[in-house]
Amino acid sequence: MLLYKFVLRVLCCLALPFPLFAQQDSLATSDSLLIKQLEQEMLKQTETTQTLSSQTQSRSGISTNPDMSVIGDFRTAYTGIGKRKIETYLNEVEFQIVSVVDPYARAEFLFSFGKDLTTGDHEIELEVGTLTSLSLPYQLQVTLGKFKPVFGKVNTLHPHYFDFVEFPQTINNFFDAEGMFMEGISASWLVSNPFDFYQELVLEIGRAGSQPNASFVQGGNDNLLYSSHLKNFFDLSDNSTFEFGISGMTGPNAFGFISAIGGIDVTYKWKPIQFNTYHSFIWQTEAMISNVRDTINSNIQSYGFYSLMEYQIEKRLFLGSKFDYAEFPGINNQYDKVTSLLLRLQPTEFQILALELRNIQRNYASDYNQILLRFIFGIGTHGAHTY
Amino acid sequence: MKNFIKQLFVGLTILFSIQQCFSQLKVVTTLPDLKNITEVIGGAQVDVFAIATGYQNPHFVDPKPSYIIKLSKADVFVTVGLDLETGWVPALINSARNAKIQKGGEGYVDASTNVSLQQVPSSVNRSEGDIHIYGNPHYWLDPLNGKIIAQNICNTLSKLDAEHRTVFETNLKNFNAKIDAKIQEWMQKMQPFKGTKIIAYHNEWVYFETRFGLQIMDFLEPKPGIPPSPNQLAKVIGEMKRDNLKIIISSPYFTTESAELVARNVNGKVVTFATSVGANDNVKSYFDLFDYNVNLIVNALK
Repeated sequence: MLLYKFVLRVLCCLALPFPLFAQQDSLATSDSLLIKQLEQEMLKQTETTQTLSSQTQSRSGISTNPDMSVIGDFRTAYTGIGKRKIETYLNEVEFQIVSVVDPYARAEFLFSFGKDLTTGDHEIELEVGTLTSLSLPYQLQVTLGKFKPVFGKVNTLHPHYFDFVEFPQTINNFFDAEGMFMEGISASWLVSNPFDFYQELVLEIGRAGSQPNASFVQGGNDNLLYSSHLKNFFDLSDNSTFEFGISGMTGPNAFGFISAIGGIDVTYKWKPIQFNTYHSFIWQTEAMISNVRDTINSNIQSYGFYSLMEYQIEKRLFLGSKFDYAEFPGINNQYDKVTSLLLRLQPTEFQILALELRNIQRNYASDYNQILLRFIFGIGTHGAHTY
Repeated sequence: MKNFIKQLFVGLTILFSIQQCFSQLKVVTTLPDLKNITEVIGGAQVDVFAIATGYQNPHFVDPKPSYIIKLSKADVFVTVGLDLETGWVPALINSARNAKIQKGGEGYVDASTNVSLQQVPSSVNRSEGDIHIYGNPHYWLDPLNGKIIAQNICNTLSKLDAEHRTVFETNLKNFNAKIDAKIQEWMQKMQPFKGTKIIAYHNEWVYFETRFGLQIMDFLEPKPGIPPSPNQLAKVIGEMKRDNLKIIISSPYFTTESAELVARNVNGKVVTFATSVGANDNVKSYFDLFDYNVNLIVNALK
C-alpha cells in the first residue's frame, strides 16, 4: 500500500509539468487538445494567487537590499602650460546607495573618493545624503539633507552624467569645479496650470556645503542660503522638447555680506522616437549674473554663460561643442573664455569614453590648450537620471 | 415643447458625459499593449494614457517631465514590470508625488504577476549584455499571457471601482473568450510551419516563438543590447547558409541595414514584426498585433 502511494505521488509529480511541455508537442497532432491544455493552464494560473506564483517560480534578485553602484572616472590630460603637462589619474570614484525607506520616503547616499591633485591622495567626502518624500499631498515633494541645489541645469548633475569632461566654466567660476552643494531642505511643487504642461517650483533653504565655493560660504551668523528654481517643460512634438528655467540664489559670502545670483536656462532636445537609440541632438544654454556685496557700500557684478550642442551620429558616437564666457563673482574685470570640442564614444550604458579639446583664453593670465581624455565606467544598479 | 425636450436631452447628455469623465479611473500604462487591454477591460470607466508608443524601443524611453504630470494624476499605473522599464519608470514614479501608484500602492499593477517567465537566469553577469534578472520581460507577445495581464488589470480596476466590478468581469470574460477563439485561428495558420528555424535581431520573441512553435536559432546582436558586430553577422550568415535559414525577424525600432546585409548574403528575407500595439497603422489592438505578426510570418514562409 505504501509503495502504491509512493508510486502514485511520483507519477503525480512527474505529471504536473506535463501540460507545459505537452502543449508544444501537441501542435502537430491536435489543436483542440492543445487549446484544452492551454485553457487548463490559464485556469490554473488565474485561480492561483500571487503566493502560489512565487512558490512555483522564483524571481531572482528579489531582496530588500538598496540599489548600489560604483562609478569610476579615470582621466588623462595634456595641459599646454606649466612644467608638468601630462597627468594621468583616477579622478573620482562615486559610491551610491539608493533605496525606498518605506511607503513614504526614499533615501540616497553618495560618497565620493576624489583625487586631491596637490597631495595626490584620494579623499572621501559625502556629496549627497538625502531623504525624499514620495507621497505628500498637493503635488509637493520635500527633500532634506545634503544635496545639489536646483540652480539651472548643470549644477544638479554629478560630473559623470555631464557629457563634457569638465563642467562649464561658468559653473566652475561661480561655484566650484563640480558645482555647488547645500545642506538644508528642498521643497518642490508641481504647479497646477490649465494647460497641463509641466511646471515645477523649487524652494530651498539651508547652508552652503562645506566644499569650497566661489559665491557662498556657510557663514558665521544666522544668514541662510535661499535658492529657487522655476522649471517649464514643453513637448513640442513626439520627437522634440523645450525647457525654460529661471533660478535665483542668495546667501552669505566670503566678505561677510550677502551675494545673489540669478540665472536662466534653455534646453532643446531632439530624438526621433522610433530610432531613439541611434540619433539625438541637444542644445543647452545657461546664463548667470552675480551680485556680490564686498563692502558696506559697494557691489561687484559678474556675468557668465555657456552654450553647448551635441549630436549623436550613430548608436555609440556623439560629437559636441561648447563655448563658455565666465567672469568671477567678487572679482572685477577677470574672465575666462573656453571653447571645447567633444568626441564621445559610448560602447554600452556602463562605459563612456570622452575626448575633449579645450582652448582657454584668460585676460588675467596666459592662454593655453588642453586635451582631456575621460573614461567613465560603472558597476551595480545606478538609477535613471532625470530628463 | 419639442425644442424643450431636445434641449433637455442635450443637457442631460452633457451632464452625463461630465459625470462620466469625473467618475472615470485615470490609468497610465507604460506600453500601448497594456493601454489597449485596459481599455477593453475598463470600457467607458477608464481614461487611459500610454507613455511609450508602439514603434518605440520599450527599454529606452526618455522619462520626460510631461509624463510626471500624467502620473501625478493617475489612479492606476500599469507596468510590464520585471526590469523592462527599469531605465525610465523609477525616475518617473519617484517624481510623481502620487502614493496610489507607487510600488505596493493600491493603483500599482505589475502586469507580469502570475506570468510564467521564460529565460530566468540562474546567475547574472553584465558580460552577458543586457540580461534581465527576472527573466525575459517580453511576455505580452504570447496571447495567452494577454489573459493574465487582463486578469491583473481587472483585479485592480474592480478593487478601485467596485461599483463596476461586474462590468469589468464581463469585459474580461469576453476578452478571454476572444483570445481563446483567435488563438485557434493563429495556431492553425502557424501549424504548417511548426519547428521552422529563423534568426532574430534581438532576444525579445521567446514567448511568441514558444507559443507558435518557431525556433530562433541565433540573434544579430552578439549579446542582448550590443549592436551587431561583423563577427556576429559572419557567424549568422554561416549558420543560415548551413541550415538553409531564410527569415530574419526584426523590430520597428532597429535599423535594418545589418539584417538586410545578412539577408542579401543568404538570399533570405527580413520581416519586421510589430512589437506592440501601434507599431504601424495595421496594428490598432492587441488582437491586431498577433493577426499582423502571424500573417506576416506565414506569408514570408510560404
